[in-house]
Amino acid sequence: MIPGPFHYHRPTSVAEAVALLAAHGDDARPLAGGHSLIPMMKLRMAVPDHLVDLAAIPDLKGICEDGDRIVIGATTTQREVIGSDLLAARLPILAETARQIADPQIRTKGTFGGNVANGDPGNDMPALMQCLDAVYRLAGPDGSRTVPARDYYQGAYFTALEPGELLTAVEIPVPPAGHGYAYEKLKRKVGDYATAAAAVVLTLDGGTVATASIALTNVASTPLHAAAASALVIGTGLDAATLKAAADAAKAITDPATDGRGTAEYRREMAGVMVARALAKAMRRAKGA
Amino acid sequence: MNAPALSAVIGQPVSRVDGPAKVTGTARYAAEFVPDGLAYASVVSATIPRGRIRALDTSAAEGMPGVLAVVSHRNAPKLPYLERDQRPPVDPKSGDQLRMFQDDKVLFNGQPVAVVIADSQQEADAAARCIGIAYDETEPTTTFDPGRGRPPSEETAKGGRPGAAGRGDGAAGLAEAATTVDVTYVQAREHHNAIEPHATIAQWDGDSLTLYDKSQWVQNVVVEIAHVFGIEAGKIRVISPFVGGAFGSALRTWPHVTIAAIAAKMTGRPVRVELSRRQLYHSVGFRPHTLQRVRLGAAPDGRLTAILQDAAAQVATYEEYAETTLQPAETTYSCPNVATAYRLVEMDTNSPCPMRGPGIVTGLYALEAAMDELAVALNVDPVALRLKNHADINEKTGLPWSSKALKACYETAAERFGWADRIAAPRSMRIGTDLVGYGMATAIYHADRAPAEAEVILFANGTAVVRTAASDMGPGTYTSITQIAADELGLPVEAIRFELGDSTLPMAPVHGGSITLVSVGSAVAEACAAVRQKLEALTGEGSIAERLRANGLDRLAASAKASPGEETKRYASSAFGAVFVEVRVDEGLGTLRVKRMTGAYDVGRVINPKIARSQCIGGMMGGLGMALMEAAEWDPRFGKVMNANLAEYLVPVCADTPALDVTFVPSEDTVLNPLGAKGLAEIAICGVAPAIANAVFHATGRRQRHIPIRPEDLIGT
Repeated sequence: MIPGPFHYHRPTSVAEAVALLAAHGDDARPLAGGHSLIPMMKLRMAVPDHLVDLAAIPDLKGICEDGDRIVIGATTTQREVIGSDLLAARLPILAETARQIADPQIRTKGTFGGNVANGDPGNDMPALMQCLDAVYRLAGPDGSRTVPARDYYQGAYFTALEPGELLTAVEIPVPPAGHGYAYEKLKRKVGDYATAAAAVVLTLDGGTVATASIALTNVASTPLHAAAASALVIGTGLDAATLKAAADAAKAITDPATDGRGTAEYRREMAGVMVARALAKAMRRAKGA
Repeated sequence: MNAPALSAVIGQPVSRVDGPAKVTGTARYAAEFVPDGLAYASVVSATIPRGRIRALDTSAAEGMPGVLAVVSHRNAPKLPYLERDQRPPVDPKSGDQLRMFQDDKVLFNGQPVAVVIADSQQEADAAARCIGIAYDETEPTTTFDPGRGRPPSEETAKGGRPGAAGRGDGAAGLAEAATTVDVTYVQAREHHNAIEPHATIAQWDGDSLTLYDKSQWVQNVVVEIAHVFGIEAGKIRVISPFVGGAFGSALRTWPHVTIAAIAAKMTGRPVRVELSRRQLYHSVGFRPHTLQRVRLGAAPDGRLTAILQDAAAQVATYEEYAETTLQPAETTYSCPNVATAYRLVEMDTNSPCPMRGPGIVTGLYALEAAMDELAVALNVDPVALRLKNHADINEKTGLPWSSKALKACYETAAERFGWADRIAAPRSMRIGTDLVGYGMATAIYHADRAPAEAEVILFANGTAVVRTAASDMGPGTYTSITQIAADELGLPVEAIRFELGDSTLPMAPVHGGSITLVSVGSAVAEACAAVRQKLEALTGEGSIAERLRANGLDRLAASAKASPGEETKRYASSAFGAVFVEVRVDEGLGTLRVKRMTGAYDVGRVINPKIARSQCIGGMMGGLGMALMEAAEWDPRFGKVMNANLAEYLVPVCADTPALDVTFVPSEDTVLNPLGAKGLAEIAICGVAPAIANAVFHATGRRQRHIPIRPEDLIGT
């Protein structure tokens, strides 16, 4: 399969990229790792007239610490996320999640920013960003703004990103040292999108949960922040009844489609299992830390 | 014949002689030939399940860049499609084959209705998308309704697929049984999905036709195309040196071969037709969806008193492909009363066709799953139940086996697997949070042999060439036949070149049904013996090269034909095996992993243990796919496979591969053929799916009576 013809642009600054995107509007698409866009172009499901390649913009790359936040540039690859010592120390759940994305070839090219920006409900990072209450930095022709991950996703492939805007970086508040975390993902086959997946970050006060955040991947047209389930586990020791109640609360907000990964009923059920297992694993890690 | 014990080459784990060519990319497959002036075809497929083409607008396509021709029923040549004296065994026994572009009828969704030929594949594909077709649809039949099942036709019945068969009195045997099971199983439609897509290049030179084709039987392609076009077989040559997997999908000559020849004729250019992955799902057959009911009766001591097995399989409307699904019911166990009933359910679909272990693997799935249920009902060990009912002769024909080491297979596999550690009660074995299940099944596949010819040429430089029109779709025929020749000629493997895959070479039978090694191998052995005899008649001594040179010869050739004989009337021949499986089930998720598999096989003499093992582990993985993953998702609204791609049609990959343990029990079958081999291909997929299904029951206590078994089947209540 061969994509349709397009004009190729290779800006070297964010301002230049944004100008190009703004000038061409809906006819232009930013190109990062290309692992979503290029297959769509080869199938002619996407036929952009202008491709704005972000590879030559140094400002979009890299991982750094900014006070109590970690900032990840949009064109940082999943492989760089996995290999980052800073993330391993501060936010180990990022590497745990990135390792479960697709396969090594895709992780080598695919970018963190592309994964969170394009609104594919199968992507893993969006739910994790909601779990961590991350904030997306967007640059547009009228300047920059930030949008919380929990407000960014509107529907499958529909996001808060306006035409001409570019997601430049993600700011993630660093959870306290010793926090518990887990990203549990069920796949029908290696490399697949999730049948259901859950991200959990929690902290303990003594033996009970002090803070908790739960989010779900691929069980609705957007990632889901499971606020009720999260609230429910706070103050508990995550006994069996609590785990079940949290799983049930998480299941209640899901709306999965029946597809090749299973029936809607199965996928909803699995979302609950993923939440319970992620909570239990996060608890073990918090206690072990 | 050298005595096997003296052989220096046979029995050695020689690496594939065609391996370097394959891994360096110099092995050329059908689509990779590039005759001068090659043009490219794109086949346009019907998008309705039944009806007629009302209007066909090709004007836009014809005007597109690079387009040479658009061919449909409106302008295609009228072809004679002559009846063959005898249908080849790879074709359905009755019905009419699909005829290319001869009328406006649409018989299934995906049927070729036009073809675009252009200077490049991209131009052909682009133009194919611009052809407008209007249809008059008629009410299709797209559901599998066993109530509509009908017995096979007389021709099909005569071809070994009868509507009813058996011995004794099945009903009486069931009535007298102390213990019975009565269970129904469903097996999903499966597709071959070889790595290499089917492709044909057709090139006319006057009235002579050369076809570069993906084929398991080049000489049958010649005869078939000669009849389709009404031309002499001598005018056609078919070339197919390498086949990138087939599993039965390249046994018969499919319509796209005819399309290539029509397209080349109409454009005056050599033309390539290469089917896309998606097109393969409606162009080259599949293993049919099959529903089976098995009733077993047993005496208190576990002896079978009755086997009743019924099968209903989907079939196309235009052609009647039927399988030997119910043969295992007649041959696998000793039982005085056997009754089978076979029905075909017509649907608007392309015709199914043989896929590895055709029929047998389907029937064996149901039989071996039911045997497991009987073992539970009797509270006996599944292996003990099978030993109790061991078939000392082939009770279908009453003939003794030419060789049978099945008991050794059970014993060897059980020991290697550690079957003795199995706790009989289901749900009684766990590792961590996983349920553990052990299951087993018997494997059986009849061993056949066909006439074959071969030529051997010795050269004065000390090398030799072996020639026959066989194929090698991947099992290692290039290598194993080279070993046989090396052994017979006393030459090193490196000194021998084996030429195959060309219809002008000496006659070879179809490369299917596990018959190639015993059929072609026997012919090669005899041709080698013949050339050696000629050599010994020459004066002088020393090596082959020395003697040829001493006699002023640059070469010495001999041919031979080897055929099965009277032994086929006095003996029944079969490969046997026993498969043992461990599965792990995560009950929270329903996920199921095969942890390890042990197979012990009686396949006669093993020519090359390395390649033989590869055959077996390949078969095991095919069986794993059948048990847990592979299924065509059929949409009855369109009469169409919806997951016609390798992203959504799941096949096992490396990450799904468990520890695979293969062993061959001592065996030699010099009745079937002088080499002592029995053929090894189909047997390796037999028994795998039921062994897995039985292990799933043992792990979970939940009987799944359908394959594939999926995670959602194993959760909830």
